[in-house]
Formats: sequence, structure tokens, C-alpha cells
Amino acid sequence: MKISLNWIKEFVDLPADLSITQLASDLTMRTVEVEGYEDLGASLDNIVVARVEVIQPHPQADRLRVAKVDCGEAELSQVVCGGSNLYEGQLVVLAKPGSFVKWHGEGEPVEIKASKLRGVDSAGMICASAEIGMEELFPAKEEAEIVDLQGYDAYPGQPISALLGRNDIIIEVDNKSITNRPDLWGQYGIARELAAIYDLPLKPLPVFQEILPSGINVEIENADRCARYAALSIEGIQNEQSPVWMRERLASLDVRPVNLMVDITNYVMLCVGEPTHAFDATHVDGGIVVRQAKQGEKLTLLNDEVLELRESDLLIADKTKALALAGVMGGKLDSVLDDTRDVILEVANFDAIGTRRTATHFGLRTESSSRFEKALDTQRVDQALGLTVALLKELMPEARLTGFTDLVLKPTAAGSVEVEKQYLEKRLGTELKVEEVKALLGRLGFDVTYKEGVFSCLVPSWRATGDVSLPADILEEIARIRGYESFAFTPPVVALGKALNQPQIQMTQHIAQLLSQRLGMQEVFTYPWVEERYLEAAGIEKESLLKLATPPSPEQAHLRPSLVPGLIEAVQLNQHHFESFKIFEQGVVFFDLHNQAQHLAFALAGEDAEKLLFEAKGALQAIPRLAMSEAFDFVQEEAPSWAEHGLWLNVKNKQGVFGGLGVLSSKAKRAAGIKRLAVVMAEINLDALHALPSRDNAFKSLPVYPLVAKDLSVILEDKVSWAQVEKLVGPMVRDIAYITEFRGGQVPEGKRSLSFRVWLGSDAGTMTAVEIDKRMVAITRRLEKELGGVVPTTK
Amino acid sequence: MLEKLETMRQEAENDLQSITDLQTLQKVKHDWLSKAGKVTELLKAIPTLEPEQRRPFGIGANEIKTMLTERLNALEEQLLDSAGSDLKLDLTIPGFDFTRGGLHPTRQMRDDLNQAFLSLGFEIYNGAQITTEQSAFDNLNFKPDHPARETMDTYWIAGTEQKSAKERYCLRPHLTGASVDYLKEHGAPARFVYPGMVYRNESTDPGHERAFYQYEALIVEKDFSFASGRLLIDTILERVFGKPIETRMRAGFFPFVEPGFEIDMRCQVCGGKGCGVCKYVGWIEIMPGGVPHPNVLLAAGLDPMEWSGFYINIGLDRLVMMRYGIDDVRLFHSADLRFLEQFK
Repeated sequence: MKISLNWIKEFVDLPADLSITQLASDLTMRTVEVEGYEDLGASLDNIVVARVEVIQPHPQADRLRVAKVDCGEAELSQVVCGGSNLYEGQLVVLAKPGSFVKWHGEGEPVEIKASKLRGVDSAGMICASAEIGMEELFPAKEEAEIVDLQGYDAYPGQPISALLGRNDIIIEVDNKSITNRPDLWGQYGIARELAAIYDLPLKPLPVFQEILPSGINVEIENADRCARYAALSIEGIQNEQSPVWMRERLASLDVRPVNLMVDITNYVMLCVGEPTHAFDATHVDGGIVVRQAKQGEKLTLLNDEVLELRESDLLIADKTKALALAGVMGGKLDSVLDDTRDVILEVANFDAIGTRRTATHFGLRTESSSRFEKALDTQRVDQALGLTVALLKELMPEARLTGFTDLVLKPTAAGSVEVEKQYLEKRLGTELKVEEVKALLGRLGFDVTYKEGVFSCLVPSWRATGDVSLPADILEEIARIRGYESFAFTPPVVALGKALNQPQIQMTQHIAQLLSQRLGMQEVFTYPWVEERYLEAAGIEKESLLKLATPPSPEQAHLRPSLVPGLIEAVQLNQHHFESFKIFEQGVVFFDLHNQAQHLAFALAGEDAEKLLFEAKGALQAIPRLAMSEAFDFVQEEAPSWAEHGLWLNVKNKQGVFGGLGVLSSKAKRAAGIKRLAVVMAEINLDALHALPSRDNAFKSLPVYPLVAKDLSVILEDKVSWAQVEKLVGPMVRDIAYITEFRGGQVPEGKRSLSFRVWLGSDAGTMTAVEIDKRMVAITRRLEKELGGVVPTTK
Repeated sequence: MLEKLETMRQEAENDLQSITDLQTLQKVKHDWLSKAGKVTELLKAIPTLEPEQRRPFGIGANEIKTMLTERLNALEEQLLDSAGSDLKLDLTIPGFDFTRGGLHPTRQMRDDLNQAFLSLGFEIYNGAQITTEQSAFDNLNFKPDHPARETMDTYWIAGTEQKSAKERYCLRPHLTGASVDYLKEHGAPARFVYPGMVYRNESTDPGHERAFYQYEALIVEKDFSFASGRLLIDTILERVFGKPIETRMRAGFFPFVEPGFEIDMRCQVCGGKGCGVCKYVGWIEIMPGGVPHPNVLLAAGLDPMEWSGFYINIGLDRLVMMRYGIDDVRLFHSADLRFLEQFK
């Protein structure tokens, strides 16, 4: 919202030495963030009125002309101009060298310099309205149209700022931070706030005290939607253009001047924050009815849009037809035009929620609806009436006030909050004086009494529509007006409790460190919504997945039940830049509205699927020991939907299968557009993997006598697994380790040679060569007998 | 015979002088000190001498042996030392790359902050990412149809978007809802952080994302003074910037806090003098915070007259962008390794 400093000064005498920087800072610290301010006068330096004396064609360009203009100096100036509406004798706006204008009305202002335009000297520029930021005041009908000051009491050389009274500073504040402050949505409210901050008196608004006969008949059908409706009949208006000062003020706050009657209603709204509306009385038939619309009822708006209404929409109607959408926008029929003579002025209070719903439904967020939706107090109607009548008397002396009707069905009650002094002191961390509290709150319009340790605070109506109702609200008012910076930091004192132990969180963290620091994987983040293409590639059924009502794009509606599709996409993207890479993600996946889980997934991409597969298995194997989780087994029970046939494993604990690893199937790769890389993936449910509260492995004594390591190769049928060998030989030795496998060469078709190392030892003494040979023969025999193995005779 | 000894000594000296490398050294060693060497020959000759000559000759021969042994050992050490390795290497070739793999820069930031808060005795809490309108808005004092709801355009779950309150589900638009869940579960006093991803239905550009990482901390204590909340603010900023950072708390409106604050930090680029980065005000808005609104405490089952506290909420993406000078927030979810591998 924009604030006019000149307007504020009409209500509060700000200290003469108060700089705009200081004011902006004080307002920001205590009330609302100032996003910026603009000195309108300064932006018009060196921009003056000029009269066009002579126009000649430009020798080089058809669209340009060369004008000799009088700008109050001894000699005429020559200016090249492309204005379509240039004529001799015209009073125009001349930007002299050294001034700043917005080039074609856009971007940051640029400096005007004396220059040649297509070979002709030009000492400045004759401006279009957009070039000097005055589109509202001088609406242009076409782009090349320059400002025509016809009708203005202007003379050549007169600074434009003086002509328009444009010496204001416009302050822009952040709307978001005052959605809870209906009182601040007008200049008067901001003035009140500044008066409180600087402890200065606030000047009163004009009071409505007309004694008028009863006016037009008003009926309100639903008091919850319309708490008050005042209708003032005004007759015999001359609806002309508003005076320059009013048009200038409206324009500087981004409101387009229309005609005097409409401008007055806008002026009042900007000042006190109460939207009012003027109906052309000739179109109002038999009185005003504030009622809910009939389902399907039609209303044509000012902008010719036809709305089909719902029962929940509130209408201003007369006895026969709908006139306006209450609190949102006027209808076409009732609009006040330049020839309107009699009007009915509506000053009413509409409820916040209903107005907002209607405005949102029809996409009509107007100046009016955005104020009502903040919840206004009914007393503000009085302020609007007072100011309107004062303006009418000043600007439309011919207008007659002929009738007044005011239905007040639900006046805003002054709220009352009781708050203990002790409560305030504890939470502000400082002692307070009763008089100080009374004074601080008094500046904001609160009426405060103190008795036996309790402040009774009567909340002013403009803060009583939801904003201030609790002791905490009173605390905030005191703290912010006194200044948040005036409360000293005190270190909080807390009781020391049990030490924290969050093993599951620690485990998740350890796993991330293991994968990234030790195994060389890079962590990635992917979105929780996944593209259908990658869901399909991962073989995941879409039907049962959660969907977003309004997804980022139609193909990204589904929420991921697995991290795999996102990682497949990540592999697809990175394949163009890297020959091999390893990535992982820890993230949340979604099963249904009530079930989500923390998952871990990784993808290894490279040349050799077999190598990657065992790397992946090794990574999972490392987790229990290195990330302090329970142990788990590798089984083959539930094939992952994305894995190549047979080339996968599950991980399983006591509760069951909680994940798996495998080679990404060629089908999946084709679907995802992964061209040449081999990809191995793994995914586990981290919530199903239980962290150990502490370490669980025990120390083993070092061997008393040295162990002997012996390597052994055995030729076995392909179907005999390493696990079988390990299970058989393991109990016969101190330790056993896989070395390698080999096919081909001397090894017959359908068989492979498995090599492994065993460690032998004895507690009785160092083993002799004979003892060792005996043990090795025993192992060989068992391999032959139990697994059909052949141990080639060595050397 | 003693003349012979002198000749041999001279000969040994000459041989020692002739040594230029390990090979010649070995030859000299062999010539003199092996079983058939010259020293042995000398010693073997002792019994054949006149008895009175044996002793001086023996001493002389042993002197030669000792001299040779010591000199040869010393020479061998010297030659071995000077020989070095045969390896000829280009030592400008880089060392083995142990830096592959890494954590996401946002997670690193989160871990930094977690570490700081853990040291203050804060717990880490993970709330659900799918939540309800009740939890995300109603419980937090966002009144129905209040314009404040609009500041957080929410991803509603299809099929529930027309419902309301606890039947209307969404991806969480902020973390704060989880605070009520935690307090309901654990009661007060409490101090915890709850970092995580939040989601908003917005259009994206270099400064805006639909999925972003927030970090929220809450302390709930009896009669906690709002000024003490600075502890949370200072903890975060000092950890991020590695030094104390000047901050200010100013009026801000968020439905779930009262009083509510916008917290600004001194512009680190200009030091507060004013520059383009801080839009010439010397301060940069860094996080919102405030005292839990009484209605929020009530929703958590706590008596607002008894309990108070302080919230802060900070966007980690923006902090990470400041830390490294990253200019496009969308890179965080790009999974682009060319980007991610820069943040070891």
C-alpha cells in the first residue's frame, strides 16, 4: 500500500527534523515494513511547462517533427518530437537536459541529454505521460500521444511539480505484514500509528452531524453479512472533473481519477479505509435491499462482465433487480457517469469472510473487497460519512443532501482485555510502571485502568474486529510501541534433563556419511512429485498413488512411493556428462494419506553391471557395522519392479523384507532413455531398519599361536553357491574369505572354479606342516563328498 | 714381515680409494674380507711367523680388518644413501582422488545447525510431510478464509481438496504445524528443532522453488521473555557465518506468533553502510520468529498463561545460496552432479 506523506501531515504534525529515512525505519521497526519511498518532486526536476511555438517537418524522418518551444527562457529551444498530437500553441511537458524520464515508460529513469536526433539538434524531450509516471493523471489513448496541458493554468517555464502540487513523498509499505491490521488500510490509520510512535496528537476527522429527513428505504436481510448500511441521498450534483490537487493525490496513490463523485468515494476510501459506493439514483427502484443472490441470478458489472451468482454471494439490489456485488464491485446499471445528477451514497459494513469468498470466487480482488476482507469496524462508517460530506461541501457546493438512512444492526463492540502486570513483566523481562503502560496504550487509542495488579484495557473499535483480544496482544502493543530493541537480552535458564539419545536419527545420519565419505556417493535431492515416464520406467502402478490436486505440471501429479523413479531420472540427466557416477538420496515417500516412510536409495552407474552389483551389496552390508543398525540378511523373495530378471536381492530382518537391490532392467533403461550405462540400484525403508541403542559387537581374543593362511581352489557345478561352500567349510576353520571365481580355460563347461582363503590355527601350539596338510585334506574331502567339488592337485 | 703389513695397508687404502659405486665396493669387500680374502690370508700366515713377530703382526692384521670393515660399512651407507630409487616420477601428477562423493550442500547446512542446537540440548524432530489443513492452518491460528492463508499456496492432495480441516490433506506448506504435534506428544517444557522440506504451489524462477528446505526451532518454557529468543537467532547466524552477526527484531505479522517478528541481520556485504544487496538499508531480512500464539499453545494442549517461548524459522536454501554465492535456487533439486560435486 502507498502512503502520501503530505496526507499524513494533514493529521499529525511530524517533527520538523524527522528525516524520511528515520520515519521509514521507525515505521518498519514498530508497525509495517517500508519497502521504499519516492520523492515525487525530485523526480520532476528540470521538467517544465513549454509552449509549442513553431512546428517544422524533420528532414530525415517522417514520424518526427522539429518543434521550437518556449520554456520561459530568453530564446526558444529546439526539440525533436514524435508525438502524434503535437500542435502549435500546445502546452506540453518538456524534459530539459539533466532531467530523468522513464524511456518508453519502462525501466529505471534515464538522464536526458542535449543530442542530435537523426541529424537534428534536440534540447530535451516532450514527454508522454508514461515517461513521467503520470499515466493515471493523463491517460494516453495511444502510445505516441504526448501530455497536453490544455485547461491547466500553466505558463512556460513553470516546473511541472509546482503546476501539479507534486512535492509529495510516497511511501510504499508491505501489504502482507498488515493483513491483520484493518486500521492501517488508510492514510488516517497510518497517521494514527505515527502519532502513537512519536507521541504526538492526532487531528480529528470531520464529524458527520447533518440533520436530515429519513432517506431511501433500506432493508438488510442478513445482519451477519451486513452489520451496518448507511444511505445518503445527494441531489443536483455537477459531476465534473476533480480539481488538480485531488486528481494528483489519487494518481500518486495509483487510483485513476474518473469524475468528481467517483473521485470523492475513492479519496474517502484511501483516507479512512472505508470503501463507499455511489449509485445513480435514477436507476434505484423503490429502495435498497441487501440480500443474498438467488442461485443463477445474473449481474452485469461495470466492465461488462456478466456474473452468474450463487446464494452465498451478497447483493445490493433494489425492489426489482440486482445493482452491485456488495463490497466488491458496482454494476453497470448503477454506475455514476459524468451526467449523473442524483446519487445514493452507500457507506456500509460487509463481513470479511463472505466478501472474500465472493471476490475470490469471481477473481475480483478490488480495492474495496481487499479492505472489507480485513474485517472493518462499523464505526468507520461515521468517519467516511463525515469526510464525504466535508468534501461535498467544499467541492460540490451545489449538491443538496436530501435524506439519510442508517441501519446499524450489529455495531462493533469495543473489546476489553484484562492483563496482569506480573504477566507483562515476566514476559517482557523487565519491570513496568503503571503510568508508562497506560500512556503507551493510550497513544494507540486504548482506554486503560489499573486496579490490584490488573490492567483493564478497552480496545478501540478499529482494533476490535479480531486483531486485539488477548493478553498477548496487549503485550505486543506495549513492546512494539516502546521499541523491541529496548528490551535487553537475558540468557534463558533451563533445567538440565536427561541426555538426548535419538539412535534412529543418528543411524540415518551415519548412513549418509558412510555412503558419501567412504563409498564415494553424491547425495541428491529430487522432487516428491515424479514424472509419469519415470514411474512407468520403474514399473510402479500409478492407480493407487496419491495425487496433487494442482500439480506443477499434468505429468507430475503423482507423489512418489519410492525414490527409485527420481533417481532413474537423475541417472538419465547425468549420463550426458559422466561416464560413471554414484548417487544416493534419503527422502520421504508416500503410500497413502496416513503412511509415509523415510527411504534410502542409491544408483551406481558405470560400465560393468556385475562389479556395480557387488559394490551395491557391499554398501548395504557395511550399514549394520558402520551405521550402528541391526543386522539383516540378503534373500530372494520379492523382485523389485525395476530389476533385471534374477539379478536382484532383498534385505530382510525379523519383520520381513524392507528393501532390495538389483541391476536396473534393460526395459526400465529403455523407458527412461538411459543409453549405454549399466545401472545398479538399491532402495531400503529406513524406518524399518532399526538402529542399535549402542554397539553390539564383542571383542575376540587375539590368537595365542599364529594362524596359517591357505588358499584353495575348487571346481564346482555352477549351481553350487559360495554360500554353500562357506557354510560347509566355515566351521572347520578359524576364518574363511572369498577370493575369486573363474570360468573357462581348464574349467569344464557348466562349472566354475571358486578360490578362497582359510585361516587355520590351534590353541595348543603352532601348527606343524603335517597338521596343516591333514586339515586341508579333510576340507578337500568334504568339498568333494558334500558338494561334488574337484580340488585340482596342487604342484 | 711387518713391511708386508705396511704394504697391505697401503694396498687396502688404494682399493678403498678406488671404490666409486656399490659394485666396486662389493669387489673390494670380497677381495679383502671373504673367506679367501687378503685379510684372511694375512691371519692364516700368523702361525708361520717367528713367535715374537706373531703378536705385533696379529694386531696389525686385525687393525687392517677393522679399518676395512668400518670404512667399507661407512662407504656402503654413503653409497646407498646417495643412490636413492630408480623411480623417475612426475611429481606434479595429482594424488589419488579421495574426494568423490559428498553430501548435498543444504544437508550440510542443516547438519551444521543441528550440531549447534544439539549442543544446546535441543531434540531433532521429523514431522510428517503430508499433513492436514487443520494441522497446517487451523491449529496455527490461521483463521478460515483469512487472507494470511493465501501467502502459502498449498499443494492439496487430489480427492480431499474440497473438504476441510482434518479431512483436507496437503503437502506441508511449512514446518510449524509439526510443532503442535510434537508438543501434544511430549508436553512442555520443550526445546527442539524440526528441519525439513516444505512445498508451495508457486511458479519457479531463480529465486523461487516449489520444494524448499526450512529449519525451525522452538523453545517452550515458563514465562519465557521474547528478548531471550535472540539465543536461537544468534546460534543460527553465528554457525552459518562463523562469527557473531548483528541482528534486529522488528514488527512482523504471522498468525501463529504474538508478538511476531521479522529478524534482520546486518548486511555482510557493506557492513551496514548500504549497498545494492541490502537495497541501501544496511539490513537483510533473514528470518521470521516470535512467541507462540496463545491459540497455538492451546491447540497443543498447553496453558498460554503458564507457557511461553520462541520460534524461529529460516530458509536453508537461501542461507546456502549466501554461503556459496549460488544464483539459482532450482539447482538444489536438479540432481545435477556438475553442481553438487562442488560442495565437498
